[in-house]
Amino acid sequence: MDANVRERIIKMKSMVFENLMESYIPFPMDKKLYSSWTESLERNKKTVLYTSYMYQISGILKRYEKLFPKIYRVNMPKKLISLSKFIIRPSDSELQRSFSILNNISSMLKKNGIDFGYLYEDEPYSGAILLESGFLYEFQKYGEKLRDFFHDRGIEKLITVDPHTTNALNRLKEIINFDIDVVNYLEIINFKGSGDYVIHDSCLYSRALNMYDPIRAKIKNAGINIHEDYLVTSREMGFCCGGPLSLISESDSEEISKMRSESLLKVNNNVMVMCPLCFENLSPYIDNIKDLAEVVS
Amino acid sequence: MDYEWNVAINKAIVNNAPKVEKILRENPYINDLAADLREKKLDVLNNIDKYIKQTEESVLRSGGGFHLARDSNDAIDIVRKIIGDKKNIVLSKSNVLYEIKLRETLASEGRDIWETDLGEYLVQINNDMPSHLIAPAIHLTKEKVGKILNENLDKSIDENSKTEDMVHSVREFLMKKYLAADVGITGANAVSADSGSVILVENEGNIRMDTVLPGIHIAITGIDKIVPTLKDAFNEAIVQAANAGFYPPTYINVSSGPSSTGDIELKKVTPATGPREFHLILVDNGRSDAIKSDLMESLLCIRCGRCYFSCPAYRLYGKDFGTSPYTGPTGIMWSAIIFKEYDKSEMCMHSGGCGEVCPMKIPIPKIIEKIKFRYTG
Ligand code: SF4
Repeated sequence: MDANVRERIIKMKSMVFENLMESYIPFPMDKKLYSSWTESLERNKKTVLYTSYMYQISGILKRYEKLFPKIYRVNMPKKLISLSKFIIRPSDSELQRSFSILNNISSMLKKNGIDFGYLYEDEPYSGAILLESGFLYEFQKYGEKLRDFFHDRGIEKLITVDPHTTNALNRLKEIINFDIDVVNYLEIINFKGSGDYVIHDSCLYSRALNMYDPIRAKIKNAGINIHEDYLVTSREMGFCCGGPLSLISESDSEEISKMRSESLLKVNNNVMVMCPLCFENLSPYIDNIKDLAEVVS
Repeated sequence: MDYEWNVAINKAIVNNAPKVEKILRENPYINDLAADLREKKLDVLNNIDKYIKQTEESVLRSGGGFHLARDSNDAIDIVRKIIGDKKNIVLSKSNVLYEIKLRETLASEGRDIWETDLGEYLVQINNDMPSHLIAPAIHLTKEKVGKILNENLDKSIDENSKTEDMVHSVREFLMKKYLAADVGITGANAVSADSGSVILVENEGNIRMDTVLPGIHIAITGIDKIVPTLKDAFNEAIVQAANAGFYPPTYINVSSGPSSTGDIELKKVTPATGPREFHLILVDNGRSDAIKSDLMESLLCIRCGRCYFSCPAYRLYGKDFGTSPYTGPTGIMWSAIIFKEYDKSEMCMHSGGCGEVCPMKIPIPKIIEKIKFRYTG
């Protein structure tokens, strides 16, 4: 593999790690804006809904990835990186979509009798990017800091809303003594819905977190008609949206996204996802694509 | 993506994955065998020195020669000592033979050495490398095979020939090679420590020829292929074949020492019709270091090749995903163990299908995560 790729990955690692250790976010972002999807949740609760900004930033992640090399080239001091030039904002429609998904998740949780709060702009990022890039040492170090952050605020339980955050926190339980309860919203709510869909499973939910069957059972119970094909949607044969490859090669990543979209569309025209990153990667090739939280209530 | 590769891999997946799923659904005992085999193989890895010693004693007891090779050069030197100046050699498909570069090394010494598995033979005459553990020529379409055979073997074969005619033409050629061969060199699907037997699974019948017709049979394999008993070795053959999509396998070959007969007064006499010499060479080449590391479970791999077809990176990159012959998800682990190459792990998306289908329940995505860490950590 191209030696530049290694260099780029290592540089990205140190930059993301330094940012996280300093400010709990992987790169400059407007936390106030991203946490403004609600005003009605209490701040000081032992159980909090934990977005890790995933839905809010999913639309701009690729643009950040493109920006990384530029930031390295100018070898910019960390303080300057946080200047507005490097803050990318999602479009209004991207932002509104993510806000309405989070609001729907929040109202479904309440409907199911769950009491929870939200950390607003104090919310830290989970560190998932470190784990998923193989930066295990840095992931562990940041995980310890994250655990202390939650301890300091008296938080005992986190309700996650996306697979990457859920997986990262579960892995922290294996690696360090991360003694905060982690539960994904799909595990604790029931919902209603309708329509015909082919599911593009999140690799992490379905295979790493063993949620393939329980999620399907809930979707079927909700009244949604699921179309299956062993080669496309089974736990064994379903595959990635291509997103994780974009750090290595954008065109290869797009090729996987295209391949995956084509195979899903052969099963049904309506595609359902459960991860904000899957949505980003597949939506350029699929007209009728929706997140589960846009379909159920 | 390369168009030919795209067509070839999609055909292979459609032909193979549902078939394997059906075999395992209809024969649930195979998953039970696999679970048991995993435990047995873990026991071997945790006590590798003891099992190597037991294997050695068993092979010697059955009249064979036993050799332990530290690395590739050591393995090839052992082969040279065994075969002396013998020139005519037939090979059966084996990743370890590629790993130690056996064919190219012996060919460069002027020996007449031939792959006898059809796919491997095509790879050999095309000066290529295998693209899949059990289907080495998966990247070649029928048309391409016709062209390769036309240029290298038989002018009467071309792109439009029937597959049956292509196979027949290769068969005719190889038959002459089997009959002339002084030495047959194979790999092993499993080696049983209690009896010193080598188990080989196949469908073509070439391994039967390689192990019986030449006067010397040499089996070369990794120390990871040892299992405690002959029963475990048969189980491994069944589990491997089923997960590769071949069930029942056409042939399971057992070689325990050289050929012998007891037909006259029940006195065992060696040789009889088959080989007069049998040798087992167990290769280390980084395996014992890996056993002591966080890559240990990679050595449970039984080379069924099932993980390849659940992997998006293999679909996209083909044999570039890994270092040939170790490609695909298992190949990322084995490229790290044998060649200390870690870079291709970055192509892995952690889709996780590999870990789902692996009969040995190797946590492949987590192991690849550790290999990524070796690359950039
Ligand atoms: S890693 Fe598992 S699935 Fe892949 S070849 Fe080895 S045994 Fe088969």
